[in-house]
Amino acid sequence: MDTVYQTVVIGIAVGALYGLVALGFGLIMGVMKFVNIAHGSFIIIGGYVAYWLFTLLGIDPYLSIPAVMLVMFAMGLILYRLLFSPLLKYPRAEMRLDKSLLITFGVTWILDNTVTLIWTPDTRSIVTSYTGSTLDLLGAKLGLTGLAGLILGVLAALALNILLTRTYFGKHVRAATEDSGAAGLSGVNVQRTYLISCGIAAALGGVAGVVIVSSYSIAPTGGLNWLLTAMVVVVLAGEGNIAFILPAGVILGLLQSVSTLVVSPAYQQPIALVVFILVLMFRPQGLFARKG
Amino acid sequence: MEFNWKRLSALAILLVLLIVPPLAIDLGSNIMNVMVTLFIYIILSQSWNLIGGYTGQVNLGIVAFFGISTMVTHFLWKEGLPIFAAIPAGSLSAAILAALIGLPTLRLRGMYFAVGTLALAQAAQVVVANIFVRQVAMPASFTTAYSLAPRYYLGLFLVVVATAVVYFVTRSKVGLAMVAIRDDEQAAQVTGVKVFKYKVIALLISAMLAGLAGGFYAYVRLSYWQISIVFSPLWTFDALLAVVIGGAGTLGGPIIGSIFLVVLSEIFANTLGQAHLIVFGFLFILVVLFLPQGLMGGVDLVRAGMYRAWRSVRRPTIV
Repeated sequence: MDTVYQTVVIGIAVGALYGLVALGFGLIMGVMKFVNIAHGSFIIIGGYVAYWLFTLLGIDPYLSIPAVMLVMFAMGLILYRLLFSPLLKYPRAEMRLDKSLLITFGVTWILDNTVTLIWTPDTRSIVTSYTGSTLDLLGAKLGLTGLAGLILGVLAALALNILLTRTYFGKHVRAATEDSGAAGLSGVNVQRTYLISCGIAAALGGVAGVVIVSSYSIAPTGGLNWLLTAMVVVVLAGEGNIAFILPAGVILGLLQSVSTLVVSPAYQQPIALVVFILVLMFRPQGLFARKG
Repeated sequence: MEFNWKRLSALAILLVLLIVPPLAIDLGSNIMNVMVTLFIYIILSQSWNLIGGYTGQVNLGIVAFFGISTMVTHFLWKEGLPIFAAIPAGSLSAAILAALIGLPTLRLRGMYFAVGTLALAQAAQVVVANIFVRQVAMPASFTTAYSLAPRYYLGLFLVVVATAVVYFVTRSKVGLAMVAIRDDEQAAQVTGVKVFKYKVIALLISAMLAGLAGGFYAYVRLSYWQISIVFSPLWTFDALLAVVIGGAGTLGGPIIGSIFLVVLSEIFANTLGQAHLIVFGFLFILVVLFLPQGLMGGVDLVRAGMYRAWRSVRRPTIV
């Protein structure tokens, strides 16, 4: 019983991190109808920025989050201006999707190899004084870094939801999501909305990167695996269903965590794939899609 | 059926040029190795061309089909099966894997197929690396019998096979359906094309071609390789790069793209090192954005421009 409770606690914490990883990806997917393959690289770069701030300046990774977000936000803006905005010239959504797959695949290539050049292919992680310490939660142990991931995931999801539902900018985003042409006609600056959404998505990826580098480790080629997690979570939540990304992440985290009771932990990723295929076969609209 | 004799004879001359010189003179193992690498690239990119270029389904996990076939071919060959039977067996295993992932993901439009194939490739890497030791080697009896010449000719043969398969498939009814799906899936559906059926057919043939490339790789690299290399996403990217740069949805595109890629990486790998991959990334994006037809389209553009220039020069003398 204790081990089950323990795996559930860990599953929830990991799942919140999965949700955090998927937030930026889901935002771009929902708003711009792009598949951003480069999101995994955003996460990795965010982690490396925090790593640099820690090793060069000695700034605690969790205190460096605002700085990382700022850097990533700027990077998102630059990438949008350089590489994503040309995609908008394709009028049909299908074509835009295909082209975005190709272009962001190229972007991933550029970013991953640049990261390898700058930081070498070695695996990096941040080790602080509290890295190994755990917290007692009614009998279950949870690492402090895991708890931080949980809290940050929930905070980021809440902040994004408030931004999308309670602010003027969020209204623009939702309008552009619904019908970018009509939104443009009624005075929404669609280009600027996309631009800022892209920046926010990259910044969210950066936050995920900070959590990953301080609780796990990062390597230049690791982005692809996190991207995959993000994709599975978004498929679970249902396309464009940003509010349910965090719950979907928790479900995936729980499934993977509980599965370790039965099979070897090495098979966590194949399990994500099986979940992905089962959802596609039986509930392609996602677990949380509203009826009608 | 009418044959284009000019084109056929050009093809025959090209084949003779590829077949005879290695027999007559010793080209050295360096050039032969580059040629063999080039053959792998061409087969793999023809495979991607069929599903991505002609059918318009972006497959981000072609390496799974390549890798599974490499493993199957390797072990069957090691167990004593002749290589001519082992490679088709590997190719078949790739098709089975393709059916597993294709049946659920190809029903849906949008990103699902791309995500499914990418997930499959990553999961296959993990599973295979868990089951087997991390690196695989052939017994000494195989390595001492190693010679490049049979690999060169088998590779050339497989390139011809892969190109012929793409040629005949795309000129059949199936090919017509594939192009219709790529150009407008909805319109194809409405006109009575069984979209799902033809997508699956395209994926299966494409996976078998990727399997040929994988089996051939197992035949070429036998001394020592790591599973993470066989399943590395690098293969997917290289195939994609070759097809897009050469010209997606054209027969010659993957060939031109592969030659371009292999020659460039031979030149740049020594001078630029890791940075040459970044250059490839930028090149790829530029081609996607500004040269949607790839180098093949570029050739057409130049040809049209030259024709126009020629016409404008000629016109005064006619009048």
